[in-house]
Amino acid sequence: MPWRYSRWTADHPLSLGAGERAAVGQEVHAGDVLAAGTTYGTPVRVTGARRLGVAPEDLARVMRVPVGGEVERKTVIARTGRRFARAVSSPLAGRVIHQRADGDLFVAPIVGRWAVRSTLDGEVSRSDDACVSVRGSAWALQGVAGYGPNAIGEIALAVDSAAGELQPSRIDVRLRDRILIAGARATAESITRAHACGVAAVVAGAAPAGGLRVVYGDEATASGATTGPDAPTVLCLIGFGMAPLPRDVFAPLAALAGARAAVHTASARLFVFAPESAGDFAQDPPSLALSDDWLGARPIDEQLTLAGVTRFASEIEAEAVATKDGAVPVANVLAFDAPRTPRS
Amino acid sequence: VTISTELVASVEIAHEARTERVPAGPADGPVLRVIPGDVVHVAALLGRDPRLAPAMAFGTLAGGASLVGLVGTHDGRSFVERAELLRDAHPDLIVALAPDRGDVNGMVELAEALRFGCGHQQPPPHILVSADERVRARIAASCPANAIEALPDLRTPAGRQALVARLRALRRRAQGDVVLRDEALEAAARSMSASAGADVALLDVTGGSTSVIHARPDGTVLGIHERLGVGAAADRVVARAGLDRVRRWIPRAVEAPALLERVFNRARWPDAIPASVLALSLEMALAREAIAHALADAERAGVSLDAAWASPLLVLTGRLAQLPRAAQSLLVAIDVFGATGATLVSRSPGDTLVAAGALAARGRAATMPDPDPIAIVAEMWPRRSATVRVTDANGVMEERVVRGSFLLVPTKGAVQIELPRTTVRPSARSLELGVVIDARGRPLSLPPRDAERIPTLARWHAALDVLPAEKR
Repeated sequence: MPWRYSRWTADHPLSLGAGERAAVGQEVHAGDVLAAGTTYGTPVRVTGARRLGVAPEDLARVMRVPVGGEVERKTVIARTGRRFARAVSSPLAGRVIHQRADGDLFVAPIVGRWAVRSTLDGEVSRSDDACVSVRGSAWALQGVAGYGPNAIGEIALAVDSAAGELQPSRIDVRLRDRILIAGARATAESITRAHACGVAAVVAGAAPAGGLRVVYGDEATASGATTGPDAPTVLCLIGFGMAPLPRDVFAPLAALAGARAAVHTASARLFVFAPESAGDFAQDPPSLALSDDWLGARPIDEQLTLAGVTRFASEIEAEAVATKDGAVPVANVLAFDAPRTPRS
Repeated sequence: VTISTELVASVEIAHEARTERVPAGPADGPVLRVIPGDVVHVAALLGRDPRLAPAMAFGTLAGGASLVGLVGTHDGRSFVERAELLRDAHPDLIVALAPDRGDVNGMVELAEALRFGCGHQQPPPHILVSADERVRARIAASCPANAIEALPDLRTPAGRQALVARLRALRRRAQGDVVLRDEALEAAARSMSASAGADVALLDVTGGSTSVIHARPDGTVLGIHERLGVGAAADRVVARAGLDRVRRWIPRAVEAPALLERVFNRARWPDAIPASVLALSLEMALAREAIAHALADAERAGVSLDAAWASPLLVLTGRLAQLPRAAQSLLVAIDVFGATGATLVSRSPGDTLVAAGALAARGRAATMPDPDPIAIVAEMWPRRSATVRVTDANGVMEERVVRGSFLLVPTKGAVQIELPRTTVRPSARSLELGVVIDARGRPLSLPPRDAERIPTLARWHAALDVLPAEKR
């Protein structure tokens, strides 16, 4: 099924320096801050346990600022004794970021701040310095690749049909914070214009691979690209180049226009927060055919019939299915929800 | 399906999304599975010795893992930079190499950065330590949540083998009793070399991996296995090589953006078939760059490939062997694998060789299927015009060869060739194509401009009748 209403888990990896996190079991909504933290400059190592004359494992007992706490310059981090006191103070303003096994400490200046927002309505199922996971129910559509940061917004149709191409002229600031449904293709120009107009994300059947590299750099691969928060968000549902959306995929998107939604780029999923009874969206998966020259994909609406072993222009002989546009190798026909990553 | 290494009735070989069984048909008894293996990310913490980084690269190439991060005691990075690098790499395994006693303090710095960056990673990565007891104890104190294991010196063959065994165990995780494809291929190459009494080089290109294996008759095997391929890993080839290096092998003008679209679509379409000539050309171009980069990485890691170049037998497997024309497999191989002498190039389409190799890897007596001999390739770079004499069932043919020549001498029946300035007389019982005389010189240089590059490529393709005519 391309559309499924289910309980999903969305992982939100955290950068170094998480200062606050949602607790396990906490109810959150898509868009709520799950964690916030700081980015660090070059840290300074401060002699800790040795200076205080305590064992490294006893250092925590005498610390006045815990690891992770913010300090000003000359703030006393740890102190022992009364009349003949020994103290460790911070050489700079920042945070105490780490305690070494030998009892020394690292203090780093704060050079920036970050926040991670939930992409699901639900409850926090895991929360530690590496990741915060949220588990919740939603309608979801699985894509093949997500690019950019996670995004939250309302669904808005930006094309008239499933085979339409997102035209830059249809994008303006009134679509700010919307998740645009872009039909068969979202060009690099429309992606950058959408980002400039404050659009939350663009969801399309396909996007040009070259355009994605222009926007996200050479690190963008067919599996996606993770970036900082200042990049546009794109979700490719079928592939690259040109890929009209199947009717069973596009019709629910049109019906769900205005609903709250989120794009989770790491898993390449579009979550839509509508009740399970919002529509009869869970249909059999439509078939997709990769074009002979691999330049795009298209949905196959007709009933598939086997055409037997066929010799193609490349002289490869393979089992084929008959379509109205000619024979297509069976291997080049996939269900919309077929796994698109190889098994290990 | 019963999984067993005893009394195996058939071997099941996993491809990108499908599996093939040898012998074909429903399983009638226990099945031995051959899989590509999980992707394993390895990060290394290195001491001062400059030989450690190449040794680490060699070990990960031999074990089929991905080296995702190298941090050194003297790399100039700050504590936070090291921690961020390791955290972003999300390693499955950490290898700490500190053979010198003077590396102790630096290695503890790196271990602390590891704990700071990956302290909450689930599951915590194991740490293999190649150092003396004192260093190992200090690392264990800095990373109490990580399991620590000892590793012999990675600069030695024993250390490398230990790392390879550990990496392969990780790649098999949660898969039960299986054989990795690269293990099977190494066993097959070893067996073929022993039975032929000659060195064998084996090139395997699949959707997700590329292997270059050299086996000697005495049983020693050198294997390089990389996550570069013509399918699921096609986008990795482009990321590594750059689109222009892939595009330069296609014998027609192609726009770069459209080519990238094709690569990305192929990467996300498991086991897709190139139905058009252009898609087939792209698959061949990707295979060339995948092999070229595997070889280049091996040389960068200090691996000597001289013996592999000189192997008299070259066997092609995987997608490389399944190209519709034998000439296609041959041209891809000789474009990037610069043999230094006359080489008999064969290919083994299908999975029979992998299946036999899997059985051999499990210590079972397996008869290696004979690969199909395609051609004897005579690479030369003559100072002046030279004569090559080819003798086959039709008689003797002489070809004048000058620098830049690239030609095929079709043969029938048993073949023997005489090359100038050597007493070696390469021969074969029969060849699918014949004798290929390659005097293009190495490394191959392709003109950068399309106007010169395309005619050059077209000439090479026409010499071997590589591509079918396109209907427009």
